[in-house]
Amino acid sequence: MELAKIFIVALLVNNVVLMRFLALCSYIGMTSEVGQSVGMGFAVTFVTVMATAATWPLYHFVLVPLGLTFLKILVFILVIASLVQLVEFYLKKNIPGLYAAMGIYLPLITTNCAILAVTFENIDYGYSFIESIVYAVGVSLGFLLAMVLLAGVRDRIKTSPVPKFMQGTPILFIASSLLGVAFMGFSGLIK
Amino acid sequence: MKGSIRLGIALALFAVGACASLAVVYSITKPRIEAQDQIALEASLRDLFPEGEVFEDVSASITSANATVNISSAFLAKRGEASLGLAVKAAGPSYGGQAVLLVGVELNRSIAGVRILELNDTAGLGANAKNPGYYVDKTNKITFPGQFAGKYVTDPFVVKSDVVAITASTITSTALTTIVKAAADAGVLWLENSALAPSTDQGPGASYSGSAASESAPATTGGN
Amino acid sequence: MKSLWKTFKQGIIYENPLLMLMIGLCSALAVTSSVANGLGMGLAMTFVLLFSEIVISVFRKVIPNSVRIPIFIIIIAAFTTMVDLVMKAYFPDLSKSMGVFIPLIVVNCIIMGRVEAFASKQKPLTAIFDALGMGLGYTWVMIAISAVRELLGNGSLAGIPVMPASYQPILFFILPPGGFLVFGLFISFNIWLKGRMEKSAKERA
Repeated sequence: MELAKIFIVALLVNNVVLMRFLALCSYIGMTSEVGQSVGMGFAVTFVTVMATAATWPLYHFVLVPLGLTFLKILVFILVIASLVQLVEFYLKKNIPGLYAAMGIYLPLITTNCAILAVTFENIDYGYSFIESIVYAVGVSLGFLLAMVLLAGVRDRIKTSPVPKFMQGTPILFIASSLLGVAFMGFSGLIK
Repeated sequence: MKGSIRLGIALALFAVGACASLAVVYSITKPRIEAQDQIALEASLRDLFPEGEVFEDVSASITSANATVNISSAFLAKRGEASLGLAVKAAGPSYGGQAVLLVGVELNRSIAGVRILELNDTAGLGANAKNPGYYVDKTNKITFPGQFAGKYVTDPFVVKSDVVAITASTITSTALTTIVKAAADAGVLWLENSALAPSTDQGPGASYSGSAASESAPATTGGN
Repeated sequence: MKSLWKTFKQGIIYENPLLMLMIGLCSALAVTSSVANGLGMGLAMTFVLLFSEIVISVFRKVIPNSVRIPIFIIIIAAFTTMVDLVMKAYFPDLSKSMGVFIPLIVVNCIIMGRVEAFASKQKPLTAIFDALGMGLGYTWVMIAISAVRELLGNGSLAGIPVMPASYQPILFFILPPGGFLVFGLFISFNIWLKGRMEKSAKERA
């Protein structure tokens, strides 16, 4: 039951984008259409889970015993950067369509704060390996959810009369604010 | 091939340089970082037991019966040869991650007080547990952790009927109450096992059906 | 000297990272629930930006182009770790309230962006002024947003109660949705301001 709670909290209650402001660059940049958002969401999910699978053992079985915990930031970000490189190579070779569609946002996954934040929090919250994986999946699916929601909202905004000074980014933030208020309602889900 | 080696060497040099400078900074800041937690802990210990002179670390012999609450350490407050009470440092899940509390248990099985060491809950809501200006009982100016002082471990701890919750923060209130109860239970169990808690109306030798009893007797002689 | 001053000014207004370039947003929204946090984050970010730009600018001719990104990451991560350690040692309360966002400075797009676009191509002195300008631009916007959020959401500024005692703080503003709203309004105001500046520049021309 603990695992389910971790998952729900990560997905909804503490939604990584709407409640914690992480991964905003991709959130604003890659939500112009739903298909793009879904692709990005799954790419991030993949990288996050892989990153967790790599960094958790690395921290607990290498950094801690050697007393090198201060290298955590350095090591984790390099692991993520390498993983993203691998994903890039793989996509370029095997799914060139998706690779082209994602363009510059693929290398930007490296700077996606959500992924790095998840790897840090797995350590800070003292999660076991399984708990970390569940948390990683929950957070990244929460990211996917927020992305898809905003893409849908943006679709509607295109055909709505937006005041001149709100056009573009401001209205997206206001919309996100309202989405966030809705998500705050989820806090009643966990006892 | 030669080009790749050059690249590898450049990368390695920078990595080594970075790690070396970090090692230096770490060695300078490490003692201070560890001291910070100690400073906060000692301040809270003195706050709970103002008459305590020595706080003996008895962490090795205390266990938590509650699986979600982790008892990280326990300190026996003493003045001279007399024991005053036990301070239990416990961590458990709360709304915004782990919360760390220090619960003081008196020899008569009541709670001396609760101090919140770490809490990351929502500002303005759950975080008010830490706020010294936020009262759950406005007339008597009692804060959320303050309401536990004097409460007997055997009393009920149901949130909203016996324990006053923080407005709109039931999850935080319940989580913190769980930690307090678990810490207090563990503390009382330890005190009984160490024959420091004088027997009450429950009769001598009666103790909770807790899990592991302490194997190693603490090196103190409780003077009553 | 004049061009150095111009470089400095760019970051504060015309190319303000948060309002104009709109990068590095994550921390801007998450850490602005109080002025103390906003200021602390601004200074921490500026420190990492400044030293990363200096080091990378000094070594710019030596860093091989094909592995420059990993090397940039190593350097930025090193300085971020230093800030993290120093804050944990000397400002533990601030460090705890900013939580994971201090280590997240390493993926702050502003730093990576400036280092790639500027420091790797400019002399150290120019890089210093760019870092200071960008850092200051980031910090002032952080303080502005935090001031609004803390004032409306908590009735205080930097922990000092400012609003009259009868003011009921609007909790919304220090909660996440409030952050989005305030920031959206800030950008909106900024766009309006930019429009006015361009209009008056055109009229003068």
